[in-house]
Amino acid sequence: MPHLVLDKVTVHYDGQPAPAVERVSIDVAKGDFVVLVGRSGCGKTSLLNVAAGLVEPARGTAAIGGKPITAPGSDRAVVFQNDALFPWLTARENVAFALRLRGIPPGERARRADELLALVKLDGAGDKRIWELSGGMRQRVGLARALAAEPEFLLLDEPLGALDALTRERMQTTLLDLWTASPIGVLMVTHGIEEALVLATSIVVLAPGPGRVVRTFETGFSRRYASGEAIRTIKADPAFAAARGELTDAIFEGEAA
Amino acid sequence: MTVTSYTERPVAKAGAKLPKVNDEPDALSVPWSRPRPKRSRVSARVVSAITILVVLAAWALSARLQLVSPVFLPSPAAVWTKFITVARDGFVDATLAQHVAASLGRVFAALVATIIVGVPVGLAIGISTIGRGIFDPLLEFLRPIPPLAYLPLVVIWFGIGEPSKILVIAIAMLAPVALSTAAGVRGVSQERINAARSLGATRAQLVRHVILPSALPSILTGLRIALGAGWSTLVAAELVAAARGLGFMIQSAAQFLVTDVVVMGILVIAAIAFALEFIIRRIERVLVPWAGRE
Repeated sequence: MPHLVLDKVTVHYDGQPAPAVERVSIDVAKGDFVVLVGRSGCGKTSLLNVAAGLVEPARGTAAIGGKPITAPGSDRAVVFQNDALFPWLTARENVAFALRLRGIPPGERARRADELLALVKLDGAGDKRIWELSGGMRQRVGLARALAAEPEFLLLDEPLGALDALTRERMQTTLLDLWTASPIGVLMVTHGIEEALVLATSIVVLAPGPGRVVRTFETGFSRRYASGEAIRTIKADPAFAAARGELTDAIFEGEAA
Repeated sequence: MTVTSYTERPVAKAGAKLPKVNDEPDALSVPWSRPRPKRSRVSARVVSAITILVVLAAWALSARLQLVSPVFLPSPAAVWTKFITVARDGFVDATLAQHVAASLGRVFAALVATIIVGVPVGLAIGISTIGRGIFDPLLEFLRPIPPLAYLPLVVIWFGIGEPSKILVIAIAMLAPVALSTAAGVRGVSQERINAARSLGATRAQLVRHVILPSALPSILTGLRIALGAGWSTLVAAELVAAARGLGFMIQSAAQFLVTDVVVMGILVIAAIAFALEFIIRRIERVLVPWAGRE
């Protein structure tokens, strides 16, 4: 089974005095849900962009199944924080655009796009223009568009960051349902501590200046959801509160160092 | 905290007990000018309408009192009469409609030429350093030169025919179209480009399906500015060897001191410029309804 592996990756942007990320290693197997947390400036998005093939690491390697990542590829799909959708197209056309780039014949695209929209619980919104949709619905379209690529790995760059708390919670269950239903590996960046705990199978805590790993947690709450337990029950578990405290401590420890 | 406490939050109570709290705030507690409600007593439109009426009245009055000779300032009524006669019988061998059509034809031909040249140039400036290096100085050189300055050169090079007239207008239009396109291209969000790249878009697909549509609102703004710029070079373009056109009509009238036709021509040019602006704003609303709503 292929792994998405970042090995001792250093990212150094042109014109910057210090690297954004230094010697970070991350391993995502298919079926994993790896979440990167940490304060702003710890290089979470840079790492995701390396995995996406949008940013080239200064040192270290990024590879899938041993094959180096040098450019964006159809084995990975990205969902961005701000909807990177095309406002001149409808929701269906946005998804169909991804299908078109994959070479799906025109006759099939609309039907496939509708299926994908239904998968993210956007049935019947296919004809809506992007600017007519709410923030949560836009992120669902973005998710459907990413899934259209039928990726092995899904890269999520704070996709729920701009959403209100209730919409965010609903999106979390959608994400978990999609992840449970398919043998997909997920690498996600978030600011939300609770969100990380709900979704992750493992959490990587990063600290800024330059971005580096301070701790890694293995968590099992999303597996419990996958085996049928309700999110509310999981969140009410004292173990959840304990994990939240520990994770928060780890993030602030990294801050102090 | 229980959920029920939300129904009794103190803010709501304070608001209920202290009515009209926002109507008259204590002047001392508000050191800066109070924010006014949107609803203003007079709208800018009404003021504009009054301004226009006052100018018209002053014009009519000074003509009636013969403060200046009609050769210098014909009365509004005389201009209106002239408008009717020129529209019906024509002036210098063409009706008003024919003059308008000739001028509009030249401006639209120039517009098409400018779009064909200016949008790719703007795209080149926006997406490539080399393109920017090539075209930026050329446009900056061309932009501030008044049409009357390059008109003689255009005539020497391309003769006195129709292409020269269109070229003079097109040169005035090129910079706004190209620079607006470039600005629109540079303004495309990196996330949108990354999204398309991560979906496997090639560079050509990126330009065609992401960059150009993203830049469309800016391109349309450029076209609007360009139409204004092109329309205002009309008189210069029709200075040499034109047989029709509003600019030509005004110049012929000026040579015979037919001032009422000059004034009428100026008003028609202004009215058409206003109409063009209105139409292109409508087109913008239809073509790029998402602009400003993202």
